[in-house]
Amino acid sequence: MEKLYVNEIGPDGVVSTVGLFYSRAEAQKIVEMLRANPDRTSHRYEIVEAVRHILSEKQVIQATAGQKE
Amino acid sequence: MRGITPRREQGMADSVLAEMVHATGATESRHFAAVKPTIQAYRASWVKLAPYRDGPVNSHRVKVDDTAAMTAQVKAKATELGANLVGVCRLQPHMIDLGSEVPHEFVIACCVAEDYEKVLQGPDAVEEEAMRTYAKCTKIATALAAHVREMGYPAIAHHNGASEVQAIPIFYQVGFGELGRHGSLINEKYGASFRPGFVTTDLPLVEDQPREFGVQDFCMNCNVCQRNCPGDAIPQDHVITHGIKRWLIDLEKCYPYSRLRDEYCHLCVDACPYIVKSHPETYKAFMKERKHVGYKTPKTY
Repeated sequence: MEKLYVNEIGPDGVVSTVGLFYSRAEAQKIVEMLRANPDRTSHRYEIVEAVRHILSEKQVIQATAGQKE
Repeated sequence: MRGITPRREQGMADSVLAEMVHATGATESRHFAAVKPTIQAYRASWVKLAPYRDGPVNSHRVKVDDTAAMTAQVKAKATELGANLVGVCRLQPHMIDLGSEVPHEFVIACCVAEDYEKVLQGPDAVEEEAMRTYAKCTKIATALAAHVREMGYPAIAHHNGASEVQAIPIFYQVGFGELGRHGSLINEKYGASFRPGFVTTDLPLVEDQPREFGVQDFCMNCNVCQRNCPGDAIPQDHVITHGIKRWLIDLEKCYPYSRLRDEYCHLCVDACPYIVKSHPETYKAFMKERKHVGYKTPKTY
């Protein structure tokens, strides 16, 4: 699955992450809904890959898979 | 007011879950398909109450000269109904579901604590306790909304049966706690073991304020939930949403344990050390169980 963040960029340039989504279609739908909100016309939206955050496997700090339930 | 926060649908309406379930050749999530009669009864209870979340507003409006006194009265009512914590804040767009509109100025937040002792009885007991608590929250929110309408102000209950509001940003704003690494809000007394119910209203109320007591710094170094997650679904890194540090659970890793198995998974919350002050012996015993099956426990245990 793809992992994508939707970020909202305010008029002051501050970035706020809207959420994590699992397909470009799902992320795009969210952006379209946000853009349709007349209260958010001064905001911009971006869809960025979440690879760096989410797909990076953590260090081996827990038991092996075989020991898990 | 229009909402801006996406809500992930529950069950097979969740596109991520649906894709994962279909990839296994099944048509239904094992967890939801395996649900026991007691759980079904709790779920039915909040579906049954959904039509009563809104209703007629008394035409004789109570005049509110003292909003602090009114706030205290409403909080006392919620407590009388069974809420463990009650808070109030002004409704903001990020507290409302994207695509929804809520025509009210304030939200009253209620939470009911789960019985943490259930962790030693296994996943079925934990799930039943969670659903019992959700059902209780539903009753509280429904009754509290009716109480406010009786005073002549519009009010809508939001709970598991039907909701347009988001629990975590509201809970944060009313001062119930801070967001933890496991994605749930942490309260210093109840840890993350509590469930929500809400009432949105135009009844004039006094707002509570967010409270910070070091959770987000603690979570940067603790990692117990992360080490105890069987799916490795809790990330190292965080994002920022509306200025708040937020760890986003990777559902692709979470669902194989929380949705594609029969058993309920609540381990990230159950292993959270913030419960240790109120339940020291139970937490210690639970973490010994976790250690026995190969997971990392806090050094002190």
